[in-house]
Amino acid sequence: MAGFISFLENRVMPIAGRIAEQKHLQAIRDGIILTMPLLIIGSLFLIIGFIPIPGYGDFMAGIFGDKWLTKLLYPVNATFDIMALIVGFGVAYRLAEKYKVDPLSAGAISVAAFLLATPYNTMFTPEGASTAVEVGGVIPVALMGSKGLFVAMILALLSTEIYRKIIQKKIVITMPDGVPPAVARSFVALIPASIVILVVWLLRILIENTSFQSIHNIVSDLLVGPLNALGSSMFGAIIAVLLVQVLWSLGLHGAAIVGGVMDPIWLSLMDQNRAVFQADPTGELPNVITKQFFDLWIYAGGSGATLALVVLMILRARSEQMKNIGRLSIGPGLFNINEPVTFGMPIVMNPLLIIPFILAPIALVIVTYLAMELGWVARPSGVAVPWTTPPIISGYLATGGKISGAVLQLVNFVVSLLIYYPFFRLWDKQKLAEEQASQSENKTVAL
Amino acid sequence: MNILLCCNAGMSTSLLVKKMEQAANDKGLEAKIWAVSADEVSRHIDQADVLLLGPQVRYKLTEMKKEGEARGIPVDVISTVDYGTLNGNNVLEFALRLKK
Repeated sequence: MAGFISFLENRVMPIAGRIAEQKHLQAIRDGIILTMPLLIIGSLFLIIGFIPIPGYGDFMAGIFGDKWLTKLLYPVNATFDIMALIVGFGVAYRLAEKYKVDPLSAGAISVAAFLLATPYNTMFTPEGASTAVEVGGVIPVALMGSKGLFVAMILALLSTEIYRKIIQKKIVITMPDGVPPAVARSFVALIPASIVILVVWLLRILIENTSFQSIHNIVSDLLVGPLNALGSSMFGAIIAVLLVQVLWSLGLHGAAIVGGVMDPIWLSLMDQNRAVFQADPTGELPNVITKQFFDLWIYAGGSGATLALVVLMILRARSEQMKNIGRLSIGPGLFNINEPVTFGMPIVMNPLLIIPFILAPIALVIVTYLAMELGWVARPSGVAVPWTTPPIISGYLATGGKISGAVLQLVNFVVSLLIYYPFFRLWDKQKLAEEQASQSENKTVAL
Repeated sequence: MNILLCCNAGMSTSLLVKKMEQAANDKGLEAKIWAVSADEVSRHIDQADVLLLGPQVRYKLTEMKKEGEARGIPVDVISTVDYGTLNGNNVLEFALRLKK
């Protein structure tokens, strides 16, 4: 076991550190955070729109008229459906910040590049017609949401790279002295911005001559398809959770590091469910694995499903140390924050406790996946419940108001409790023995 | 004395802020202590005298150190034991030692 720890420390840690420090991954992670508050606000309206009480719909229609739901969901369309636009801006902004070039310009250029890659037409079925016709002169809403997420991210990285390279090579328009600095700054962005636009424009023209027809189609066929297939599988989920847990075992923020790669995938899976749920709350949701699958069913109490462990400390601990850590951890633990456990107990670099810390969440992935795949438990409806929401409430809300979502969280709590229990007992015993030894030592000294 | 703490979301460091404020109070020390998420540090660092990172984001140390050095602000990682046990007093002492 000591060999395993030193392997982690000497081999895994440097690689993990390098991945975590990687500029583009950090920019993606930090840029995506910009959409989260919007998604949560949109989710509030989604929840209110689909409160699962019999007769609720008729009741609302009686007060607010037949169109009440459409009107109530306006904010959903203005939050979920512009995810790609916001991410395109956010990722470029964060990357430019890291290169210390003007982030606001980089964000604006990135949005322009994203729209340049997007054909301004959509398919529309007029009333009474049987076939859809192509309509021009519209920005296709479908591509502004999760469907356009990867194109927006890729173009944000590409355009910001071009932008900062040109700025750093100092190929910019310099204004003579006497020109107000603000005016000079507005010209600085001109050359790099026009090169970005030129590159994306050529790219679009080029691709329009292939069978793919648009940048969106290439990215969705070659990249998003395979990524979503991997990301939505149980196998993919187990690998992701394993990585998160190994990183946390080293004391690194695993969820933040893995999230840099996986969050775009999990968010678009989440949004696929949301679109189906919004159209028909009784319809079959396409995905089991979404962002909320991990945040709410696997990581109750924080990464490692440590809420059960904290409850064990409070109810069964005999050593003073574990009692203390339990008291310290239960408050934050209810809101899924567990640093007092991981660093205080500690689990980090602790060969004994790393075992259940890795096993419990993997077991929960299997239990949760199967329960949802077999249809025993409702799937996450795409409602973006914040990861800090306490369990039971979060499971109910995230499934669009299904009790089964909350029940599964209870089951998962018991499963993780059983896995942690033997290891907790061993550790508590060891701590108690240490405490008694130091106490009897003190007594001898006192005598 | 302005002490800036940073972790991934600024959540767990905010637990520590309270304990450190208590410790500062007990010492009769006037200190402003606050916690932010890693992506917000650049907007707050100019108001800080010292920047402390939660151990779980210690992979950001090189990047943050650069930011700190440019401004003459010491940057370091909080010890895992003090972090886990939310030992406000020790972390405060640590910040004061760094500042010297």
